[in-house]
Amino acid sequence: MDSQHSERTSEQELERLRTENAGLKQELEETRRSSTRYLQNVAHQLTAPLNAIKWNIEAIKDEKVPIPRKKNLLSSIYSQGTILVHLIKNFSLMSNLEADHELGQFRDQPERVSPLRLAINLAGDFEPQAAETSKKIEIRMLSFDRIFGDRDLLVVKNLVAQALSNLLENAIKYSTVGTTIDVEAVTAPVRETGKTYYGISVRNTGLPILPSEVKRLSDRGFRGNAAKQKIPAGTGIGLYIANRVMELHEGLIQVKPSGNETRMTLFFPASRIVDPIHKEEE
Amino acid sequence: MKILLVDDEPTYFEALIATLESNGIECITARDMTEGVKALQKHDVSAVVTDIMMPPGPSFSQVDANECGFHFIEHVQQNWPRLPIVCLSVIADQAKIRFLARRRVRYLRKGETPLSTAVEVITAVAEGRSVRPRR
Repeated sequence: MDSQHSERTSEQELERLRTENAGLKQELEETRRSSTRYLQNVAHQLTAPLNAIKWNIEAIKDEKVPIPRKKNLLSSIYSQGTILVHLIKNFSLMSNLEADHELGQFRDQPERVSPLRLAINLAGDFEPQAAETSKKIEIRMLSFDRIFGDRDLLVVKNLVAQALSNLLENAIKYSTVGTTIDVEAVTAPVRETGKTYYGISVRNTGLPILPSEVKRLSDRGFRGNAAKQKIPAGTGIGLYIANRVMELHEGLIQVKPSGNETRMTLFFPASRIVDPIHKEEE
Repeated sequence: MKILLVDDEPTYFEALIATLESNGIECITARDMTEGVKALQKHDVSAVVTDIMMPPGPSFSQVDANECGFHFIEHVQQNWPRLPIVCLSVIADQAKIRFLARRRVRYLRKGETPLSTAVEVITAVAEGRSVRPRR
């Protein structure tokens, strides 16, 4: 009786393990397929600007193409170069950020960064890209004066610059032709932590983000439906990186869609806001 | 001679347009399937050059952006059956490349085709000539 019972239990256990094994195999296959798709997508993202540059150079070498057109082609090469550098920075940051996140510490030392100066410099970098589709980037100077005054952020500059660049790039990509992208300083109590945060927000009018998609926007590789339908090519890592950067700074990223308007904010805790260094201290 | 170029990444087309126009070919552009169809209703063109991954636009919103070019090609061939089509894209799936061949669509791989070859093939297709790409 006992041996029959134990035989039955072993068979049941074996069957359970078989089912579990089949499930794991299926999961592994799906992961393999999705990482292949992801790699193909990444390869496309990297080669597309390079190919555009190659064709532009070929057209510039063509004697029949008039000089004014060649000037446009040169500007386009510059824009494609900017896109490429931005993408490569994102990819190289991604692996570093994973490691930093696990360790819970920065690779580089945080430094004083003027939030207004950072916003102005990045807006300048993205201005040519915005102008290609008749969009403008406007910095709300007074808001920076009101929220930060002459105080700085104590952050890892290149990380925060990349996070803000990713927000600007999305805003340009997904906004309506001819609209303005606003960059402003904001402060708000954040419900999730109950503390007051200080931030830089980027607001654009264009593609609607569904409230149900907001939570998934920071997942690696996730792209909203409307975004995929309007611009099929994309990596889905911009907000993932921005979110990781903000977590490392004990801050957070907030996405607030409202109809066709989207506001994305990088929020820093009060501990990241530092008073200016007085001349005699320098 | 006039041709229609459909692609949501216009930066790709700047060099192509500059070269085609310096060879006396007028180019009109569309950024999605809806704009592409509207342009064909408005203009009499000698050929269409299209990408595959592109937005469908408002009139075809149910079409998947990843496959949009295939729908566009079918739509063009149903409504303008004699209009030659060149597909300028990156397609990994051989079955899809064969689909294009069956539909008599000339496929040029973005990035691997030199600009001069693309110009040569597009011009020949628009003029109704057959051409072999240079090796």
